[in-house]
Amino acid sequence: MISALLVDDEPLAREALADLLSSDPEISIIGQASNAIEALQMINGLHPDVVFLDIQMPRVSGLELVSMLNMDDAPYIVFVTAYDEYAIRAFEDNAFDYLLKPVEPSRLQKTLARLKKNYQQPPSLNPLASADLQLIPCYLQNRIRLIKIDDVEFAFSDLSGVHVMSEEGTSHTQLTLKTLESKTPLLHCHRQYLININAIREIQLLENGLAEIITQHGHKVPVSRRYLKMLKDRFGLQ
Amino acid sequence: MQLILSLLQQMSVFFVIAYLFSKTPIFKPLVNISIQFPHKVVIYLVFSSFCIMGTYFGLEIHDAIANTRAVGAVLGGLLGGPLVGFFVGLTGGLHRYSLGGFTDLACAISTTIEGLFAGLVHFYLLNKHRKIDTLFTPYIAFLTTLVAEIAQMVVILIVAKPFSEAWSLVKLIAPPMILANSAGAALFMNIIRDQKTMYEKFSQAFSAKALKIAERTVGILATGFNEENSARIAQIIYEETGVGAVAITDCEKILAFIGHGDDHHLPGTPISSTMTFKAIQHNQVIFADGVEVPYRCSIQAQCGLGSVVVIPLQGDNEQVIGTIKLYEPKHKLFVNINRTLGEGIARLISNQILSGLHEQQKRLLIQAELKLIQAQINPHFLFNALNTISAIIRKQPEEARELLLHLSRFFRKNLKRDCESATLEDEIDHVHSYLKIEHARFADRLTVKIDIPEQLNSIQVPTFTLQPIVENAIKHGIAHCLEAGEIIISGTRQDSLLVLSVEDNAGLYENKPRSDGLGMGIVDKRIKARYGNRYGLEVQCQPNQWTRITITLPIEESGDD
Repeated sequence: MISALLVDDEPLAREALADLLSSDPEISIIGQASNAIEALQMINGLHPDVVFLDIQMPRVSGLELVSMLNMDDAPYIVFVTAYDEYAIRAFEDNAFDYLLKPVEPSRLQKTLARLKKNYQQPPSLNPLASADLQLIPCYLQNRIRLIKIDDVEFAFSDLSGVHVMSEEGTSHTQLTLKTLESKTPLLHCHRQYLININAIREIQLLENGLAEIITQHGHKVPVSRRYLKMLKDRFGLQ
Repeated sequence: MQLILSLLQQMSVFFVIAYLFSKTPIFKPLVNISIQFPHKVVIYLVFSSFCIMGTYFGLEIHDAIANTRAVGAVLGGLLGGPLVGFFVGLTGGLHRYSLGGFTDLACAISTTIEGLFAGLVHFYLLNKHRKIDTLFTPYIAFLTTLVAEIAQMVVILIVAKPFSEAWSLVKLIAPPMILANSAGAALFMNIIRDQKTMYEKFSQAFSAKALKIAERTVGILATGFNEENSARIAQIIYEETGVGAVAITDCEKILAFIGHGDDHHLPGTPISSTMTFKAIQHNQVIFADGVEVPYRCSIQAQCGLGSVVVIPLQGDNEQVIGTIKLYEPKHKLFVNINRTLGEGIARLISNQILSGLHEQQKRLLIQAELKLIQAQINPHFLFNALNTISAIIRKQPEEARELLLHLSRFFRKNLKRDCESATLEDEIDHVHSYLKIEHARFADRLTVKIDIPEQLNSIQVPTFTLQPIVENAIKHGIAHCLEAGEIIISGTRQDSLLVLSVEDNAGLYENKPRSDGLGMGIVDKRIKARYGNRYGLEVQCQPNQWTRITITLPIEESGDD
């Protein structure tokens, strides 16, 4: 069985694709998402084998969503779009395939056939390394907010997941620290913390080679021995 | 007594020269107080030469010269100011000095003082009291000269040696010289003042005429440079200038002819005058005054017109687009001034034609852009609509059919709306057709409320006023909204204004040119072009909260409401 996630902001479009896919016994649709943020949550939670992903979606496009994925366990991506054929071609390397809406059944068959042949191996996506994230999708008091990287002071992970600290307080995000580290200028200062260099007001050196960062807004962020050296190097300190 | 008479005699010669001189253009700077350097130089040269002439015409008495030099020095100072006065006096003085005699030095000094003194009077009246009119009164010239001449006598008594001789000279020449010079300066000033008044009256009448023509012809050519509009312009020029006849031509034919000879100079007939062709070809003013350059009507030998000035009309890049011709009948001489006036009128009309052309081009451009909106039902909309229909066609064929009908209705409306305006009801209907499709596509992500009172339904609005704005609100607002989107379309009447507003709850408006932003820009442009800059679109945005587009239109009373 191949598990599939359908992502499209238009319900009728999802429905139409679901209809087409349901005729294939080897495909099981494990979820549908109406925007990229929901989709990110589902991908991280459900680990589908393949994601049928619309490109034109509110706030965060399908292309941007791909750049937010962990490359280690990313699913196969099949872009589905009504237009922007050229835009997809530019991203062909990052997608397994692309389909044009309205989806023709015969064309979909080809995609599925290829998929069945490949899905056992992890997808060989070229990471969208160049596509740095400008915005971090977050949940803030039941609202979805897109926080600008520059506004983030630091990010950290705990048992409940990954959080980012900005002027507005702590918000939960679906992105992993790893993704944040590779796609944003945030730096590790602790195994569980990423710091925005520009948000540092001071670094207090503690005993045992530990330290603590005080941010512009007065938050304290721990610095572990291992990362302190890297931070010092970064600032050209001994 | 003898002396007074002869001094007055030389003064007469002076006046003849001055009078003739006053008819030349060099005289012009004299009648206006000017601070321009070249004008000061002219004043200096003119009055220095009067000074020198005054000395030459003088009578030799007792090894001295009874003269009218003071007139030049005083007037130079009065009209040119202290500096000019000083130099005029100095020049006159040095010249006198070069002629020798026992009063040479005294005269040189006194003439310089006279010029300087008059200059100070000029400075005092003008800079301290701003009494420019007083400056030009003969009375001031008289008094100034009187004082100056008395001063001169005093200087002679002090400087010239021996004193006894100076004393007997002064006794002899003082009364006649003081009197003759003062009277001369006063009369001279009178000539200048008359000339000044004449110039002023003349330019007043002239400007008034030109202004009147400008005022009456404004906007006539906005609808094009054609026979009808040209006839109206020609009529106005004919009435205002009082010339014998006025003609306007384009480069091939007569567009209008008003006045003497309109029985055979017929609008619509080709140009036959060689002078007109010459004016067009060389882009220059052709002037046939009927005296030096003969004028003969090219159509009829017994035509009553005797002189003409042909002035080219210029369009873009000074290209000739026609001519304007002012005629006078044979029994009337062509006044030279008509030529200047004619040139002014030609420039005025050229500008009006040009701005008319621009108006027309602007209108054409907007029409073309409108066509573009019609043709440019954007492919994305079409794709999305087709996808939506294809998505539901199997499960809900009835609904799919209905959507297709709405789509075709929307398209038909788009293509058929070639007229400029429609009723507001019609416009709302068009929005409805559009929304049907978008509703199906966005489902519960889109809610639209339309709140426009029915009484407003019959108001005429430009076509494509509302739908492009609603489309924008969806395309750039709701479609990017993660939460449920809402659009509120409302309309109110505020006195003679119709105010429509389209508000979305996305608040994603960005004030930057979009490649597909044609919709909103053109709606605004069309409204402004049609009703003026007070009307049109206004955008307000509270980021991430709402965007509101307000459309303000005048309500054109059609009489039936």
